[in-house]
Amino acid sequence: MFKNEEMEINLGPQHPSTHGVLRVKLRLDGETITHCRPMIGYLHRGVEKICENQTFFQGQVWTDRMDYCSAVANNLGWAEANEKLFGITVPRRAQYIRTMLNEFNRLASHLIWLATHALDIGAMTVFLYAFREREDILDMNEAFCGSRLTTTAFRIGGLREDLPPGFEKLVKKFLAKFPTCLEEYENLLSENRIWKKRTIGVAKLSAEDAIALGVTGPVLRAAGVPYDIRKAFPYAAYAEMDFEVPTKTEADTYARYLVRMEEMRQSARIIQQCMDGMPEGPVMAKIPKILKAEVNEVYHATEAPKGELGYYLVGEKGSGNPYRFHVRAPGFINLQSLPKMAEGGLIADIVAAIGTLDIVLGEIDR
Amino acid sequence: MADETLPQPPETPEAPAGPYVYDYAASPQRQIVLPKTVPLPSLKTYQAEVKAAAAADEAKWAKQLADFEVAKAKAEAEGKDAPKPPVRAVPRKDDNDLKTPWPQEPKDADLLHLQEVLGSKVEEIFEQAGELTCQVSKDAILEVLQLCRQDAKLNYEMLADQSATHYPAAKEFAFSVVYHLTSISRRKRLRLRILVPEGFIPESACAVYPSANWMEREIYDMLGIRFANHPDMTRILCPEDWEGYPLRKDYPVVGWGQRDISFREDRGGRLELIAMQKAGQLGINLKQPKAE
Repeated sequence: MFKNEEMEINLGPQHPSTHGVLRVKLRLDGETITHCRPMIGYLHRGVEKICENQTFFQGQVWTDRMDYCSAVANNLGWAEANEKLFGITVPRRAQYIRTMLNEFNRLASHLIWLATHALDIGAMTVFLYAFREREDILDMNEAFCGSRLTTTAFRIGGLREDLPPGFEKLVKKFLAKFPTCLEEYENLLSENRIWKKRTIGVAKLSAEDAIALGVTGPVLRAAGVPYDIRKAFPYAAYAEMDFEVPTKTEADTYARYLVRMEEMRQSARIIQQCMDGMPEGPVMAKIPKILKAEVNEVYHATEAPKGELGYYLVGEKGSGNPYRFHVRAPGFINLQSLPKMAEGGLIADIVAAIGTLDIVLGEIDR
Repeated sequence: MADETLPQPPETPEAPAGPYVYDYAASPQRQIVLPKTVPLPSLKTYQAEVKAAAAADEAKWAKQLADFEVAKAKAEAEGKDAPKPPVRAVPRKDDNDLKTPWPQEPKDADLLHLQEVLGSKVEEIFEQAGELTCQVSKDAILEVLQLCRQDAKLNYEMLADQSATHYPAAKEFAFSVVYHLTSISRRKRLRLRILVPEGFIPESACAVYPSANWMEREIYDMLGIRFANHPDMTRILCPEDWEGYPLRKDYPVVGWGQRDISFREDRGGRLELIAMQKAGQLGINLKQPKAE
């Protein structure tokens, strides 16, 4: 009808479905997107520069504030990258506790994804249900380290404190009810006709494109590539855990939903195994109060809820600060694939595409 | 759209004088301490350092022995007691769990294969902390990336990360650019590294790995390295009109318009005094009760 007239509009930066301050420049032909360009940087705080001017211990506080929905996973990556830089071996009990808290964090992050993604597409009810369970996980964070969101849960070399008394009871209570909660969400969504219409075949990204664009995490696994860093390059206590890497081949929004739901089940399994096999012993390695680096560079990648979270650190001889600190944020790299997903689709579906990537602008802009 | 219809932007006012002047001397926090060393991990440098340290240790010991002989001869001549013979210092062993990963000789098949195929284009290969590093010539980076992507023995499908580091103390180069490649099928990681001088424009990796697009834009934004044949070489995180490159080592930590008095630097307690006065006006008692 208006073939010759393309319209250019901005989605965001203040739009409820952009999960923060993402701005997407869209060119539309009717309702079809012909061109899509994400514009980022509204939340840029210069975390890399700040951390280069602080000590190794202080830097961890900044990792909380990158992906604020999965602070524990960020802490784990930071602590392990530093341990690799200094050659520290962490006690086994600390590894188990780290693994357990990291999986709890994955649950919390996936729950917040489920809640907001469903809300974006129009399923209001799931939001409150998912936040109810997330609240329990945040309570556990609070019991362990005193804060709920910006946790700074771990220390370089292990943990600051052992698990608090009564923590096992909380975990048991949570694990007993969580499978029924998952069923509840699935009853609301999996066979919902509207949900299926809004997600099946929407925002497709084939495996070749995903690998070429560096996409990792559930988005890559929903395209049929069983790449999970917990299995491929095991860290923490994941080598001793028995779990599966769920994959789907449809590579659309619905497949990513199914993959994430199955991942939550596997996370619950890992938590159960951590509780059953929790070893005794110290939780902190013997390290000096002030860490002085040698000339060294490390790249340590962990499987954050959103994908591959990599920390690149360069140490300077005798210096207490990292000479160079760089974060490979999963959201930053994954967001590159948004034009590929959205172009050629309808404008209403870009909301689903943004939601299915599970982005947090705090880590994209850093 | 015609430009005349748009309202003209107001003239830019001059930058305010006073506390917002970019004056390093006035504000101690803004003073830049440039790094004096070049912390570029390298097997050659490490081996040279170890050799030099061993030679220095040996020289020190030889001097100690010579001094002892002189002192002994002198004591004998004067008829005094002979001095104590010197004891060679043993390096102190720290009682902690730190095992520093030093650079090691390359043993991995991938690194050896790369060196065999590329020959003189490889400048250095080594392993450190279980990670493989291959430093290649800066002109050959695209060729090396293509080899890593397509060679059946290497088969690195994904460019996981790309970043750069500024080394102002180095003479032959100014930056190192690192590429972290991942092979999903072979479960391996490889780090490629090039050293580029100021103003050099390395070839973009976008032709081989499209994921390099935003990472190279970020490097350009943060460190000011441009990449040739990049589809869209613009700033990504900072605004388009931003001046300077924030992650360079000569860029100050405290930016424009930030307060000049730091609480840490405030030895005279001026800020505390102001806070107390303000609180007093509001009727709040900020004074801490003295411990008994």
